[in-house]
Amino acid sequence: MELLLIFGSFFIAAFLCVVLTSRRVIECISIVATVIALVESIIISLKVGSVKTYVPFYFFSIESFEAIVMLIIAFVGLATTIYSVQYLRQETLKNIIGFTRVKQYFILLNLFLLAMFLAISANSPILAWIAIEATTLSTAFLISFYNKPSVTEAAWKYLIINSVGLLLGFFGTLLYFTSVNELSGNSFYALRDAALHLDPLIAKIAFIFILIGYGTKVGLAPMHTWLPDAHSKAPAPVSALLSGVLLNVAFVIVMKFKIITDFALRDASFSNNLLIIFGLLSIFVAALIILTQKNYKRLLAYSSIENMGIISLGFGFGPLGIYPAVLHMIYHSLIKSALFLSAGTIFLKYSSTKIAKVKGMLSSLPITSILFLVGIFAITGAPPFGIFLTKISILSVGIKIHAIVSIVAMFLMAILFIGFLKHASSMAFGEKPSEVTTGSSEFKTGKENIWLILPPLALLALALFLSFYFPRFLLDLLNAVTISYKMRGTI
Amino acid sequence: MSIVFLQFLSGTIFLSIIFLHLIKKNFEAVIAYGIQSFAIVVVLMGSFFETNNFPLLLLILVTLIVKVIVAPLFFIKLIQKHELTFSVSSYLNLPLTLIVIASFTAVAHSQKFSSLTNIIPAHFALLSLALSAIFISLFLIVNRKGALSQALGVLSLENSIVAFVFFAGLERSPGLQMGIIFDIFVWILIATVFVSMIYKHFGSLDVTSMKHLKE
Repeated sequence: MELLLIFGSFFIAAFLCVVLTSRRVIECISIVATVIALVESIIISLKVGSVKTYVPFYFFSIESFEAIVMLIIAFVGLATTIYSVQYLRQETLKNIIGFTRVKQYFILLNLFLLAMFLAISANSPILAWIAIEATTLSTAFLISFYNKPSVTEAAWKYLIINSVGLLLGFFGTLLYFTSVNELSGNSFYALRDAALHLDPLIAKIAFIFILIGYGTKVGLAPMHTWLPDAHSKAPAPVSALLSGVLLNVAFVIVMKFKIITDFALRDASFSNNLLIIFGLLSIFVAALIILTQKNYKRLLAYSSIENMGIISLGFGFGPLGIYPAVLHMIYHSLIKSALFLSAGTIFLKYSSTKIAKVKGMLSSLPITSILFLVGIFAITGAPPFGIFLTKISILSVGIKIHAIVSIVAMFLMAILFIGFLKHASSMAFGEKPSEVTTGSSEFKTGKENIWLILPPLALLALALFLSFYFPRFLLDLLNAVTISYKMRGTI
Repeated sequence: MSIVFLQFLSGTIFLSIIFLHLIKKNFEAVIAYGIQSFAIVVVLMGSFFETNNFPLLLLILVTLIVKVIVAPLFFIKLIQKHELTFSVSSYLNLPLTLIVIASFTAVAHSQKFSSLTNIIPAHFALLSLALSAIFISLFLIVNRKGALSQALGVLSLENSIVAFVFFAGLERSPGLQMGIIFDIFVWILIATVFVSMIYKHFGSLDVTSMKHLKE
């Protein structure tokens, strides 16, 4: 029932956005849909905490890992929808978009959120694939929202690379079915039960296709090339959802196949090694580009590649690395979304995403720039934010198993920290440019809109809160994820 | 369905992709894709005659409408609207393209992939050809500079995977396959709009003219 309410609320919201002509009503309906999704996600998570597996109806089931990601989708979804309302109003005031665009935006946003909830709760790998493909299709037009040549280019790149990646993922998915007959069902459970009968060589080939296919969506290097373009060209709230949420949804699906592969091979070293290779490569690619980066949204996008690499390393290091990796995923989602939302406010003020054009941020946007700077410190792993602890934990687990990998990763993380600090300080300080942005009087006078501050503030505050205290039910979910991977043979 | 006829269909799919590599006219490329999709529909029909599964018949009808009729019509209208008679060239010249295609075909038939091509030992030749089709479709997407060719490459890749899946007996329930077809249909709509947008912004479908993201 809860899941049905989530799906229904987004579907109805998208439909109403199509038929309604009042902007205010469209905005309200979209916010109400995300509030319903958040409440229902909390209820589902509480249920998963007590019964371990929530199975509402055929083709859908939610376990601890899915419940955590579902909470992330719901919370970030709500924050970005609230932010979107004011962000789009400011863009309308600047004559960048009209009502039709706003309408289109909220239709696609609701469909995007619906597709992510479908993907995370789907128990059938085929249905999960359909839902993930639906996220690509719903976001393609969100990325090309501004209808400019550079944006069209980014959206085309996104569409083609992700479609090819997902088709390879689809091929990999179907290869797992060589051990399952039609009567056994189409679920991940059926695949898991039949994994021992799967030809080990086919399991290896299938997992490579899965990792390349869904890894494209995760943004793992070398399949990451679409990510910086798409994340930097999309409207800021969409970038927040793409970076903070969608990558995790795809990652969870990769992990579901990892369990099946480990069962089939009776050993986790094959999948673990692949995760370590792709993870380290992702951190390397991000570090390579960070110092010379000229665009602050691309900077954040590369940081997402780095962080997905760190999460992959955590899972690749085995059971001890899983707990900090899942924690890292939670912190990264909240902080990165907050950073993208702050970046959106900076863009509204400066009308540019070029680092060189953003100077004196502290004096022109004091609250937003503080949020942005705190976010930068948090995402690079500065204490007291939880990412500091998760990075240390993942590396300390890794140093016992893969010492060289951990040392290289630590060195690359240090480069990333320096790069981020260099760019953030150049944006925060210095003489603010004389040109005043057009738009609302608030933006001209430098007064910041509370609705552009609250969503990123709430996300950062939650990340900080969770760095010191974890509610019991969340802790239970986290423990359940680690235990389930241990039980399922991720050794 | 006899193995010889299946081999003919498999060969048709494979040759249509090679044809997509060789031709210069967009219209011919779209027709090649239509023929390839029709071969897929015939493969599905064979499966229906063996199983008498009526939901499968519905799936066949939808596939026929989406892939054989709607998709080519959309692309042909696009070609006519923007007068996109000729497609742009490829990154590799013709001899090199043929060498790469031959290499991929050899790799797909090699021992390296025998675990995949022997899923049903009697279908070794079919599966090898379908796997080759997957590889050369991927190469088509990478090698062609035209946005329309890339879109057709993605759709060919999907057709090749569907062919492999049927030859390997891995097809899933028609309900799930219907979901996949729906995704493909939406993908075709979106790709058509994007191809139009690319032409509007860049005055050409040559993806090498898209240089706005180079920073």
